Amino acid sequence: MSNYYVRRTARVFATIFAVATLTFGLIRLLPGGPFTQLRAQLLRQGVPASEVDARISNLQNIDPNAPLWRQYLDYMGAVAQGNFGESISLGEPVAQIIAEAVPWTVFVVLVSTILMFAVGIFLGSLQAYWEGSRFDKAFSGLSIGLMSVPFYVVAVISLYVFAYQWGWLPTAGTVGTNVEKELSVPFVLSALEHSLLPIFSYTLGGIGGQALAMRGNSIQVLGNDYVRVARLRGLPDRRIATRYVARNAILPMYTGFLLLLGFRLSGTVILEQIFSYTGLGYYMFAALKANDYPLMMATFLIITVALIVGVYIADLTYSKIDPRISAGGSDEAY
Amino acid sequence: MTTDDPIIEINDAAVTYDGGETFVLDHVSMSIERGEILGIVGESGSGKSMFADSMLDAIPDPGRLSGEIRYHRDDGTTVDVLELSDDELREFRWEEVSMVFQGAMSSFNPTMKIGGHFRETLKAHDADVTSGMEFARELLSDLYLDPERVLTSYPHELSGGMQQRALIALSLVLEPEVLVMDEPTAALDLLMQRSILTLLEDLQEKYDLTMVFITHDLPLVAELADRMAVMYAFQLIEVGDREQLIANSGHPYTRALLNATPDIEAPLEEMRPIEGQSPAPINVPQGCAFAPRCPLATEECRVEDPASTQLDDDHAVACHYAEDARDEIALHFDRSEETVPVSGGDGS
Amino acid sequence: MKRTEREESSATESSAVVTDGAGVDWRGSASSSVTVTRAERLREFYEETVLKPMLVAWSDSRTRLGLLIIGFYVSLALVAVLGLWRAPSTSQAPRYLTLFENMQYPLGTTASGTDLAALIIHSTPDILLMVTSGGLWATGIAVLVGTVAGYKGGSVGRALMSISDFVMAIPGLPLVMILAITFNPKNPILLGIVININYWAGLGRSIHSQVLTIRENNYVEASRTMGVSTPRIILKDVLPNIMPYVTVNFVFAARYVVFASIGLFFLGVLPYSDQNWGVTLNFAYNGGALFSWSAAHWLLVPMAAIIGLSVGLILLGQGMDRVFNPRVRTRLTGESASTASADEKETGMTEVL
Repeated sequence: MSNYYVRRTARVFATIFAVATLTFGLIRLLPGGPFTQLRAQLLRQGVPASEVDARISNLQNIDPNAPLWRQYLDYMGAVAQGNFGESISLGEPVAQIIAEAVPWTVFVVLVSTILMFAVGIFLGSLQAYWEGSRFDKAFSGLSIGLMSVPFYVVAVISLYVFAYQWGWLPTAGTVGTNVEKELSVPFVLSALEHSLLPIFSYTLGGIGGQALAMRGNSIQVLGNDYVRVARLRGLPDRRIATRYVARNAILPMYTGFLLLLGFRLSGTVILEQIFSYTGLGYYMFAALKANDYPLMMATFLIITVALIVGVYIADLTYSKIDPRISAGGSDEAY
Repeated sequence: MTTDDPIIEINDAAVTYDGGETFVLDHVSMSIERGEILGIVGESGSGKSMFADSMLDAIPDPGRLSGEIRYHRDDGTTVDVLELSDDELREFRWEEVSMVFQGAMSSFNPTMKIGGHFRETLKAHDADVTSGMEFARELLSDLYLDPERVLTSYPHELSGGMQQRALIALSLVLEPEVLVMDEPTAALDLLMQRSILTLLEDLQEKYDLTMVFITHDLPLVAELADRMAVMYAFQLIEVGDREQLIANSGHPYTRALLNATPDIEAPLEEMRPIEGQSPAPINVPQGCAFAPRCPLATEECRVEDPASTQLDDDHAVACHYAEDARDEIALHFDRSEETVPVSGGDGS
Repeated sequence: MKRTEREESSATESSAVVTDGAGVDWRGSASSSVTVTRAERLREFYEETVLKPMLVAWSDSRTRLGLLIIGFYVSLALVAVLGLWRAPSTSQAPRYLTLFENMQYPLGTTASGTDLAALIIHSTPDILLMVTSGGLWATGIAVLVGTVAGYKGGSVGRALMSISDFVMAIPGLPLVMILAITFNPKNPILLGIVININYWAGLGRSIHSQVLTIRENNYVEASRTMGVSTPRIILKDVLPNIMPYVTVNFVFAARYVVFASIGLFFLGVLPYSDQNWGVTLNFAYNGGALFSWSAAHWLLVPMAAIIGLSVGLILLGQGMDRVFNPRVRTRLTGESASTASADEKETGMTEVL
């Protein structure tokens, strides 16, 4: 069994390594290559042409004139040390930009995903409990409706209504411009105020799918003999609802939760753009627009690592949470 | 037919799913003697599970159970199970009458250890958990299980036979008077069926249980039962003492059933499947339900549903021609008088 | 008498009544009726795999509604292809007409005086093409990888699954953005493929695990012992079993293309030659529609077009799921819905947007 954990952990590093390589290759596919933009910018700033290449290798830890394999090794070496070079468009170290952006994105994604699951599970179990009732039918319809609305539509509409038309909430940013960036009450309040709309839009659409999944799972569990036997054994309804139905219905959704966390990180590219919310996705998009390759590669890599780690944790912990699955059984046995 | 000390008396029990047009248990009456093992035999879809469920007033929704189920307590008082309040019913089930379902694998919560099932049952009935668990360990040992290992295992970690035995122990943990078993051995292999049967016999003796054993497997239950009843098309068509019912059955269906029973000693050509199909609840024929498949059926059978009549002592049959059936439908295993296809002919 | 109600309730509620195979007695059925003719088998096959699913599908109001909605979009595409509605161009109408203000331009006009209805209608064919190609690509590759890996197993299976794992680990949207900038795909068919470039991985994984179970079935083993070739076994014995799952997931993959493509068009990341719903949304968003009520329709019309199409797809997917899900199929309550999807990894993929 420990063998499995070792192999699974090794695979995480192998995948991250492979994705870093892919990023390196992808960036070199892009029109103009990674250094054209920087070169032009440096020239505009009045850096003598003879010094440009030296400046570039200084900023990006890569010598643009070195052979590709040399560039690759330098790049991987720098990445391994957490050094992503300097952003071309912002002129700051990429690692610093990312360090400032990540908490916002993680906050929004984490809170909205948890909310989405919590509300979805709550609604879904109510629907299953009253299966076939008018409430159930209405919410099944509503769930399908919610599933059909892309989050960016919710985002645009809520921005339009709550921020622009009614002016209740800020239209952009992570905190108010006049708020000190320190842990204080005004800072937290301002941060919450700014995150309200992004979280709302990122939560609403996802509720439908989770509610339908929970409803289906619960109905399936309710049909099981062990629920009937539990009733005959005289167990209190509350225990049957929690320990029997809810537990067995929610467990299969656990892996989905961790995977979704990872996947939803990449959705922030659109979300944060709409709200000008300066998180990871916002910078990824900005970098893409500005041909800021160092920043683009770094954000891409960070999102990927988050995804890989999410899958990794899901794989390792699921067996701990659901006794029916033995570690590695789902993935490795064959 | 009378019994001296009945523990459960079922009067005119009927189950319907459509408000009374069709019945999946068609006005059945039966008296169960304290301390006996009663075997109920029937094909799948004959209503035998409904019979089992009705004893605990546990018909699955949206079925409706009517009639009277009288339960005689140890102390001489009598209750009508169908009149009990929800709380009283909750107590009655498992403390007085408990049940083992077919498919033990699906009777346990897959994400809870076996021990948890015992503990929560004891707690739900306000029983003392410590002494209750002590008893549970004893029961598990009686069933040749390692109590510590079983109690700390998840259901999927046990084999089918172990789960079935653990389920039997769980059904006995509150020391009920009556144990109803609905196809408890259906999913098990033959050897396991035999050994569970033996264990059940021991348990019955040790704890003075009344057992109702419901199965489609006639030879299986014939080994165990003191009395037997045969169900066909949602009715009891023959009830009697085990020896009487096997050697001297009066209903053509019972006789056909006995002839259709595989017997290692009987040549294959003597095995007679019963022609035709048993009716679905929506098209039970008028008159005797077995008439369309019965070689002896007459116009009378097709018109008039035969009432249950006393054939011998403790042997009742619902057939117009019970006497004729005995003469005209030969039992194949009868060819050598003394061998009955079941073991233990003297009723241990 | 009420046949159906009782039949269904016995099938679901009191499974005990009909568990161990209907029929004569516990042993007679096997010995009496073993001979089933080929014709009977064929007919049964037809009834089980074609007739029944179709009837169940059609009896479900979701499927009907879903088909109706998708039919509506197909007819919009036809209108565009046949040129039954004017093509969009700037200053073809008064600016900022709202909904139904002028019945010449029922959906109103944009800031530049373009007919919104024309914009919507004329981008439908491309969108449908993109959605179909994206769905076909994702499910096609997933089936190929999943069945081959699952059936062959061994090192081939492991290699294919490692590739899937790797592809799954790459974040979809950012990858699509980089690819879109690099390759600049304007062809809607190509665009559909680019958007679902790594969608197949998760789906392929779950197909793989299903095939692993299927290949243990007796009839597959029988084919193998008889020396039937691998492609033939996959085609004849394995594929029919996963087709239901694949069909449902085709619909989900198609919806993902709608969501992702429109989102990226909206951001202005994807290249385009003509306006489409996403581009219109982008123009409206950047053209100040956010700041005034009077231009709200400019935003709302393309949104409605997107939501309508995805409602149609989701309804269809739900209805299909019902057809193929035996649990749902036999349920007593006619209106009973189903799980969003059987496989959580797949849900993970589709819920991104």
